[in-house]
Amino acid sequence: MIFSRVYFRWVARAGFLAAILLVLYFWHLSSLIEKRFSGRRWSIPSTIYSDITILYPGQAVNRELLHEKLFRLGYREVDDQKGMGKGEMRVSRDELEINLCDLDVPSRKRPGFPVLIRFDQCRIESIIDLSRNTAVPILELEPEELMSFFGKEREQRRIISFDEIPEHLVYAVLAAEDIRFYRHKGMDPRAILRAFFTNMRHAAIRQGGSTITQQLAKNYFLTPKRTLYRKLKELLMSLTMEFMYDKNEILEIYLNEIYLGQKGSVSINGIGEAAHFYFGKSVEGLTLAESATIAGLIKGPNYFSPYVNEEQSRHRRDTVLRTMHDNAWVSQEQLLSALSLPLNTAGFQVYGKKAPYFIDFLSLQLKELYAPEILSSLGLTIYTTLDTQVQSAAEKALARGLARLEKNNPSLNREEPGKKLQGAIVVMQPKTGYVLAMVGGRDYAVSQFNRVTQAKRQPGSAFKPFVFLSGLDAYSPASILSNEVRAYSVDGGLWEPQNYVTIPESRVSLRTALARSINVATVDLAVKVGIEHVVVTTEAFQFSTPFQPFLSLSLGAAEVIPLELARAYCTFAADGVLPYPLLFKTVKDEEGKILERRLMDIERIISPAKAYVMTSMLRSVTEEGTGSSLKNRGVGFPVAGKTGTTNNFKDAWFVGYTPDILALVWVGFDDGGSIHATGSSAALPIWADLIKAVPQYVSGDWFKMPPGVVKRTVCPESGQLFVRFKCPQRKEEIFLSDHAPHKKCSLHGHESSFQRFMGRFKDFFSN
Amino acid sequence: MALGLYGFVLWGCSRAVVVAPPVTPEDRSIQTGVPGKDIRELSPHAQASLRLTDQGRLLLEEGKAGDAIGMLERAINVDSTNGLNYYYLSEAWLYKGNFRAAEEFNGLARIYLKDSPQWMVRVSAQEDRIDELSR
Repeated sequence: MIFSRVYFRWVARAGFLAAILLVLYFWHLSSLIEKRFSGRRWSIPSTIYSDITILYPGQAVNRELLHEKLFRLGYREVDDQKGMGKGEMRVSRDELEINLCDLDVPSRKRPGFPVLIRFDQCRIESIIDLSRNTAVPILELEPEELMSFFGKEREQRRIISFDEIPEHLVYAVLAAEDIRFYRHKGMDPRAILRAFFTNMRHAAIRQGGSTITQQLAKNYFLTPKRTLYRKLKELLMSLTMEFMYDKNEILEIYLNEIYLGQKGSVSINGIGEAAHFYFGKSVEGLTLAESATIAGLIKGPNYFSPYVNEEQSRHRRDTVLRTMHDNAWVSQEQLLSALSLPLNTAGFQVYGKKAPYFIDFLSLQLKELYAPEILSSLGLTIYTTLDTQVQSAAEKALARGLARLEKNNPSLNREEPGKKLQGAIVVMQPKTGYVLAMVGGRDYAVSQFNRVTQAKRQPGSAFKPFVFLSGLDAYSPASILSNEVRAYSVDGGLWEPQNYVTIPESRVSLRTALARSINVATVDLAVKVGIEHVVVTTEAFQFSTPFQPFLSLSLGAAEVIPLELARAYCTFAADGVLPYPLLFKTVKDEEGKILERRLMDIERIISPAKAYVMTSMLRSVTEEGTGSSLKNRGVGFPVAGKTGTTNNFKDAWFVGYTPDILALVWVGFDDGGSIHATGSSAALPIWADLIKAVPQYVSGDWFKMPPGVVKRTVCPESGQLFVRFKCPQRKEEIFLSDHAPHKKCSLHGHESSFQRFMGRFKDFFSN
Repeated sequence: MALGLYGFVLWGCSRAVVVAPPVTPEDRSIQTGVPGKDIRELSPHAQASLRLTDQGRLLLEEGKAGDAIGMLERAINVDSTNGLNYYYLSEAWLYKGNFRAAEEFNGLARIYLKDSPQWMVRVSAQEDRIDELSR
C-alpha cells in the first residue's frame, strides 16, 4: 500500500515534470514559429522589367517584332473560334485579337480587356476595345520581365494571399494532399493508419500520412531526414501551429511555400509562380483542370511535371479531379468537362537574362543603391527604359551585319570565338536620354565585355562634328576651308594629314568638308579655331576619357567610350541639351511604394541654334556625303549622321539620328586588327537594318528651326551673299544669326555678266 | 452569285459594325498647341503624344509632379516635337522647385510652340514666373 502510494507519487511527479517540460517545449516551438512567421517568410528576388509598349492607330509597327514581344509576354496563340481567356491571342493576316492581361506599373493601372487590332499592311488601322465596342486611342502593353536577382537558393516565387486563390484550387490541393485538412488538428490519425496499412501491404513506403500542417512544419523548420525524433518534432510543431494560426492562414503559407518544379537552375515555389510557369497566368485565372494539374504536382513536382511527362501529369491530374468529385467538391458535369481537356501549358521557358549587356550595366547602377542581399530578397520591381522590340532589332541587325562582313571578306573570319569580329550598338531617345537598347558585343556567352560602356576606341571621323561645332563660333557652314595638303609641325616632327579619297577641290565649305569627311579641310579648321578651343568645346560634353590638344585630335585620334559618344551626339538631336543616359525609371517595393524614381536630366551645352546648324550639316552627310548610301538601303526619311573610320580600318562607326531616335554602331576587333572596311561600308548598313526594323520610331518629322538661325542665299564659291547675275551658282544656307554673311560675294560681285559668260565659255572648252 | 454578293455585303457590314467614335468632348478639350487644329487633324503620333501630354497635365493638376513628369517623358518618346510637353514639363519641374530644369524645358517649349501666338504668351508668362521664383 505504502509502496503503491510512493510509486503513484513518483509517477505523478514525473508526469507533472513531463507536462511542464512539454509545455515549455511547446512554448519554445511557438516562439520559434512566431519568430519565423511574423518576420519575412520568404526571400523574393527583385525583378527587372522593360518599359511598357505604346500602340496607337496610325502607328507603323514591325509585326514580326510585335508578335515576338507578345509571345515573350506569355500570350498564347489560339486558333479556335471560341472565347479567349486572359493572356490568349488570335492572329490573322490583318488582325490581332488579344485578351489583354492586367497592367500594373507606377502611375498606371488598368484591368485586362479584350482588344482587336486591325492592320493595314504594317500600320495599325484601328484598336477596338471588344468589351465596350469602342475605339482605343492609346494601348499600353505590359512591361516584359528581363531578369531576376536570385539569391544563393535560386528560388522564384510570387506571393499570393488566400483571398486570391480560387476555391477549386484549394479543394484540388486538399484532394491531392490532405482531404481532412479542415477537420483535423494538425495530425490525422486516420491518414496515418491508412498510410501504415498501405505501406505494410506493399512492403514499401507508398503513402505518407503527413497533413498539410506537418508538411509545412517539415519544409520550414526541419531537415528531410527520416528519423523518429524528427517525426515527433514535426508532429509537435504542427500541433503548435494549429493552435497558433487558423486553417486558412496555414494553407496560405503552405501554398506560397511548396516546391512545384524546376525552371533550369531556378526552383519554382508556391502556386503563384507555378500558375505563371505552367499556364502563363495569375492564380485567379486558373481553371479547374489547371488547378488539379498544379495540385497533382505537389506529390512529385518533376515526375508529374507536364513539361517532363505529359501522360503522367494528365493521369495525376485526373486522379486529383476524381478525388475532388468523390468528396463532392466538383459536380459530375464539371468532372467530365475537366477530364476531357488537354494539358494546355504556356510552354517551357528557362530564365535567361534578356538584353544581358544592358542588364549588366543597369546592375552596376542598382548595386550603388541596394546591397546584393536586398536585391535578392526584398522582391523589388525595377522598371527600365529598355524597349525590347528595339533591343531585338539591334541584336538581329548586329548579328546579320557582322555575318555579312565575314561572308564578303573571308579574311575577317576567325576561328577562336573570343577573337571574332565584334560590334556594339546603343540606341537612345535623344531628348529624354532613355537607353532603348544596348548590345555590347556579338555573343554574351562568349564575352561579357560591354563594348558600349567599357570599350575605349578611337572615333576617327565620328569625332569631327565637335571640331566643326568649335568652328561655328567664328565660321558658318558656308565658310571656305583649305583642302590643300600641308605639313604641320608636331612634337618636332612633321605631320601631313591626307584625305581618305582624292578630293580635287582646293577649297571647300565647312558643310562639304563635314559631309564628305575631308581630313585636310578639317585639320585646317582645327588650326584656324585652335585645337585648344576644340578641346574646351568637347569637354563640355562630359567625356570621361582625356583629350590632349594635339592636331590629330581633330581626326578622332583620342579614345572615347561609345555610350559617351552617343550621348554627346544626342545634344545635336536635343536642341543643344545633353541628356543623362537613363536606364531605369522606377524601383518599387512589394507594396507598390516607389522607392526610387529617375527622371530625365538635361543640361544645356550649346544653344538650340548651334545644335540646329550642326544637325543640318550632319544631314548633308547622309544626303550628299559619306553616308549617302543610306538612301540605297531603304532609308528614305531624313537622317543626320556621321561615319567614322580609324587608321588601318581598326574601327568603323556610324552614328545617326532623327528627332525620335539615335543609334550608334561600332564594328571592329577587340585586339585592334583591321576590318578592311569603312564606317560607311561596315557600320552604316547595320544602322540602316536596325532603323528599318523599328518603324514606330520613324515619324519622318524633322527639327524645327529655332530662334537664332537665319537663312541666306550665298555664292557657294565664296560663302558670301549671292549676287544676282554675277555669281555662277546660288545656294540656300543657314547661319547662326550672329554669323550671317552681310558682305556680297567678293569673288564674283565685281564681274560683269560678259566676264562671267566668258569665264564659263573658257571652262567649258578647257574641261 | 446573288447569295455570294449577299454574303459579301453581310461580311462587309459585320466588319463595319465597330467604327471609331466621333470626336468626344474629352478629345475637344485636349489642347494641341497648333493654331486652329483639332487633335484629329494631326498626325497619328502627334495625336498619341498629345493624349499622353493631357494625362500628364491631369496628373500635375492632382499634384503628382513625379508621375506627371514620367508621363510627359513618355509623350516625348512618342513625339519629340510636341511643344506642349515641354511647357508642362517646365510646369512640373517648377512645381518640384527645380528652376534650372524648368528653365531648360521652357526654352524648348519656346522652340516648339513658336507657331502658336496664344501659347507663346503662356510660355513667356511661364518664363517670367520661373525668373521670379528662382530669385
